[in-house]
Amino acid sequence: MILNFLNMSGYGLYIWLSYAFTALSLISLYYVSVKKLNSIKNIEHLYQSEKIEEVSVSAQATKF
Amino acid sequence: MFGIFKPRTFFNLANTSIFWLKIILAFALIVGLILALVFSPIDYLQKDTVRIMYVHVPSSWISLFIFLIIGISSFISLIFKVRVFSVYAKSLAPIGLVFSLISVVTGSLWGYPTWGTFWSWDGRLTSMFVLVLTYILYVYLWSFIKNYNLAEKITNIVGIVGLINIPIIKFSVAWWNTLHQPASITLTAAPTIHSSMLAPLLIMFFSFCILSLIIFLIRYKYEIINFRVNKK
Repeated sequence: MILNFLNMSGYGLYIWLSYAFTALSLISLYYVSVKKLNSIKNIEHLYQSEKIEEVSVSAQATKF
Repeated sequence: MFGIFKPRTFFNLANTSIFWLKIILAFALIVGLILALVFSPIDYLQKDTVRIMYVHVPSSWISLFIFLIIGISSFISLIFKVRVFSVYAKSLAPIGLVFSLISVVTGSLWGYPTWGTFWSWDGRLTSMFVLVLTYILYVYLWSFIKNYNLAEKITNIVGIVGLINIPIIKFSVAWWNTLHQPASITLTAAPTIHSSMLAPLLIMFFSFCILSLIIFLIRYKYEIINFRVNKK
């Protein structure tokens, strides 16, 4: 029964290739997008921490 | 006029909605795939190959719809100088590119057992191939041109000019004799496809729309942060 399902009346190769290509393309697109967002988020955190450091340094400078 | 399209509005939307969209996507995709691969009947002529339709047709619709949005956004960005619209277009382009590639590849895989050939330079297939090339050009220009303002202007022009191809793709099956069959579902007439095939088709289309929206929100967030970081 499972073999019949996979065989798809002899057209299994075309059908499963289509679904595999679709799944692979969409999963890759999703992961590339998430990876890009995470990498830029890290850079933004760096900028923000630098900014906080600058502010605290300047605050200390005004104290002295 | 364009106040509702502010980045902050979309940022908040992205943060709150992605989790729920993922749950809806998982549910719709499971139902859609079970209907498409198990319960949907075979076609009397094409046999089981008709199951390729459930990924081919939604991908084609989405790739066309995304380019339509890119064209309109490019027009608004170029004429009204509303920068956020070019960010929308830039975020959508890779999604449209992937869906247009899926459409062409799955179409070829469907074509071989039905027409006896993977490819034919007929109206529908050629115009779809032009759409893929337009997407590649659009995405490539954004990454190739380092000057943001220049890249924005040129890609806006590509987006507007590329719009010409959309009605050509849509009506190619009516204008020319093609191997490709005419549309079974139109906005103006009742569908000529049986409900047992229409249901999985629409559910798969809905799933792909949700997935596109999730990826768009992620890419849009990336583009906005990237723009802010580069400005610093």
